Amino acid sequence: MKAALQRLLPRARSLVRPIVESLLAGLVGLGVGALIMWIWGHSPLRAYQALFVGAFGDAYGWAESLAYAVPLILTALTFAISVRAGMFNIGAEGQVYVGAMAAITIAYLKMTTGWHHLTGLVFAALAGAVWSLGPALLKITRGVHEVISTIMFNWISRWMCFYLIANVLVDPRRAEKTVSIPRTARFPILIPGTDLTASIYVAVGFALLIYFLLWHTVTGYEVRAAGLSPTAARYGGISAKRTLALSFVLGGMAAGLAGAVIVMGVPPTYAEVTGLGYTMGKGFDGMAVAMVGRVHPLGILFSAIFFGGLSAGGRAMQGVGVPLEMVRIVSGVIILAMAVPELVRVFRLFRVFRLRRAPVGGA
Amino acid sequence: MGSASSASRVAPSPSAILRAEKITKVYPDGTVALLDVDLEVRSGEILGLLGENGAGKTTLTKIISGLLPPTRGRVVSPQGPVRFSSPREALAFGIGMVHQHFALVGTLTAVENVALVHPGAGSPPRYERVRRLVEKLMAESGLRVPLDVPVEKLAVGEQQRVEILKVLSRNVQLLILDEPTSVLTPVEVDELFGFLSHLRQQGKSIILITHKLKEVLALADRIAVLRRGKLAGELTLAQASPEKLAQLMVGEATPRKAAVELQVGETVAERGQPQAGHGSVVLEVQNLTVPGDVQALAVQGVSFAVREGEILGIAGVEGNGQSELVEALTGLRRAKGGQASIRGVDILNRDPRQIYRLGVAHIPEDRWKLGLVLPFTLAENAILGVHRWKEFRGPLGALRWRRIQRHVRSLIGQFGIQASGTMAPARSLSGGNQQKLIVGRELAKDPAVIIASQPTRGLDIGAAQYIRELLVQMKEGGRAILLVSADLDEVLSLSDRVAVMYGGKFMAVGSPGEFDRQRIGLLMGGVAR
Repeated sequence: MKAALQRLLPRARSLVRPIVESLLAGLVGLGVGALIMWIWGHSPLRAYQALFVGAFGDAYGWAESLAYAVPLILTALTFAISVRAGMFNIGAEGQVYVGAMAAITIAYLKMTTGWHHLTGLVFAALAGAVWSLGPALLKITRGVHEVISTIMFNWISRWMCFYLIANVLVDPRRAEKTVSIPRTARFPILIPGTDLTASIYVAVGFALLIYFLLWHTVTGYEVRAAGLSPTAARYGGISAKRTLALSFVLGGMAAGLAGAVIVMGVPPTYAEVTGLGYTMGKGFDGMAVAMVGRVHPLGILFSAIFFGGLSAGGRAMQGVGVPLEMVRIVSGVIILAMAVPELVRVFRLFRVFRLRRAPVGGA
Repeated sequence: MGSASSASRVAPSPSAILRAEKITKVYPDGTVALLDVDLEVRSGEILGLLGENGAGKTTLTKIISGLLPPTRGRVVSPQGPVRFSSPREALAFGIGMVHQHFALVGTLTAVENVALVHPGAGSPPRYERVRRLVEKLMAESGLRVPLDVPVEKLAVGEQQRVEILKVLSRNVQLLILDEPTSVLTPVEVDELFGFLSHLRQQGKSIILITHKLKEVLALADRIAVLRRGKLAGELTLAQASPEKLAQLMVGEATPRKAAVELQVGETVAERGQPQAGHGSVVLEVQNLTVPGDVQALAVQGVSFAVREGEILGIAGVEGNGQSELVEALTGLRRAKGGQASIRGVDILNRDPRQIYRLGVAHIPEDRWKLGLVLPFTLAENAILGVHRWKEFRGPLGALRWRRIQRHVRSLIGQFGIQASGTMAPARSLSGGNQQKLIVGRELAKDPAVIIASQPTRGLDIGAAQYIRELLVQMKEGGRAILLVSADLDEVLSLSDRVAVMYGGKFMAVGSPGEFDRQRIGLLMGGVAR
């Protein structure tokens, strides 16, 4: 009994603490947001009421929140995997574009439904993985820092995809968009009248897969060990190159899938438009989602839905007279506040091992 | 509780410069590190603070030096209670601490690190002032260090000297040293002790944290002994004897004899016959050369063989190529030339994993950097390096947590690891228990070769002695053991053969009986006879 308690207590503590922290941070964010709205003469109470009702007040609100969360879950996983492996892969943005393009190519294939979905997802995941190999190989062979290389790859991806949209994958009848995904490969709408499609199963499934991989397999053990202590990992016979490449590839797959769920799972167009309107920003938003979700696959699920709620509820806030710009400011404040605890933790973690500082309580 | 301690508490000495009163410290995880501890420091004295690992020595001094706030209790100076919110404030008040694990900025030079504790000295022109100060202190103390190399490139012993110089440069009234001699050579220890006596004559006070009885008996005026977070006793030098101190430390009616013997210089070798290696050669090294971080060649042509059932001990001042030698043999550093093999299989420039497969256990010198992933749980750390074993790996590469839990529980039981549970982070363990976890994990590999680097550094008597006994047991079980240690007594008492390393070479190899302390001291200092 006592032994069982001793085993469970640290677990319970490690579970409860982040939740309490996040809730408190969220309250601080709400408070600051309320103050800003009050200063500019908007009623915080009415605004927040609209926000919560709009986000989670009814099935429609829930569906919109969830729909918005789907790609963010996947791009947040990209960032979370890299942080767990001891890196800052901020290339999700470019990998999403590439994944979306790869998924669109299945419009030219004639397949039965199901197989068609699968093909689109596999194409996108592979494309994202291949795209992420660039920065991975640069780091492994030449020591190029991943932050620099992934930013550069984001720009390459962006202009390359602009070109593809306008010249290669273009819809011959409507020049402002690409060809649309055929019905056989579209994710079915789950709640009529909303954007929520079955693509959510892909995102949630992949998050669970990553959770299992990182915490319950030997490979994930190696990735996390290398992320927390590269020196101890090396002592333990863990190849840093392997964990590095693996974390990039897995992250690339997640981001690629995000591209796929956007073009295959967002009604009504089921395509990408000039200027990458549907995918732009999803990769970067994912980093914020990951931070609020404690760079943990399960935390990310909740965090992404929360972001979805801010988006759906934000529209409702505009409905009660809060201008779009103010809605964005308030959302930003709330997100920032909720990301702070993890930002502090991650930066401290990365710093501790550089300076060789003593942990407290080392007898 | 001896009468000496109660007397001193009733009547505080007028010469007290600092009193810790009823200090209690409870860590956030519920560990009670200190309970109602009183400690007085008088001017112009050296106070020896003795205790096993986890006894609370470090926590107590961290509270005195402002690094940790006490949960209860207060620190009182002659001017009244003081409360420091940071080490910087304590330093300004005249209290400085040199930690066992250093608080240095690795990429900065010694001068720049010292300048960090001098507010307003952060700009290059003013470094000159600090440099002159450091040079003066080096001349006085004999603690020499290279001034213009990033400190991360210095040997551990040299880094510690930078730490001591850093604190001394602030002209402190109370200097606290946490296990300062664990990385020093015998000659350096003498120099340090000479310097500390000199400081005492100048009227300064020193708290010397140690677990070496010899040191407090040689240097301290008074000795306070902590045991499990409580003050076990307080003695003057005249009242103290090795047996009495050991008894207060370990809290047994009759102190473990071997523990005391080792601490006062008698050796296992003197008690029993050293067993000459007669098994077949397991680890063979020929003319090995290994590059260093700073110097071109840290190991310059070393040859030796370790047989089954034999401990080859490598003595020497740290920074003479021992670390690089061990790293080359364990796959952590590329060798430049020569050969090394285990049972005829070449091991040079292989991955650590390939080398482990040949039956190598490695107890690394740096627990925190190499031996453990500190934020990982005990269970996760218990499989580091063996995590790919079939025993722990199920279908799809899934970790078999049940078996891992069973494994770590058996390590905890077998090696007496004190921990709050198998899911506690390794960081929460005391140094001795961290080391037991590493040693347990490595010995559980059932290795053919054990490479142990500084296996008892910073550990209390009990833990150190236990680990030494384990090594001897493993040897008697037919393992080939390479032991690298800066602790001369340890090398001499455990080894069947001893090599003295200096400047990347072996100065001499022989049985422990062939070396008297004077000769070995000379060899370690690079003087061959």
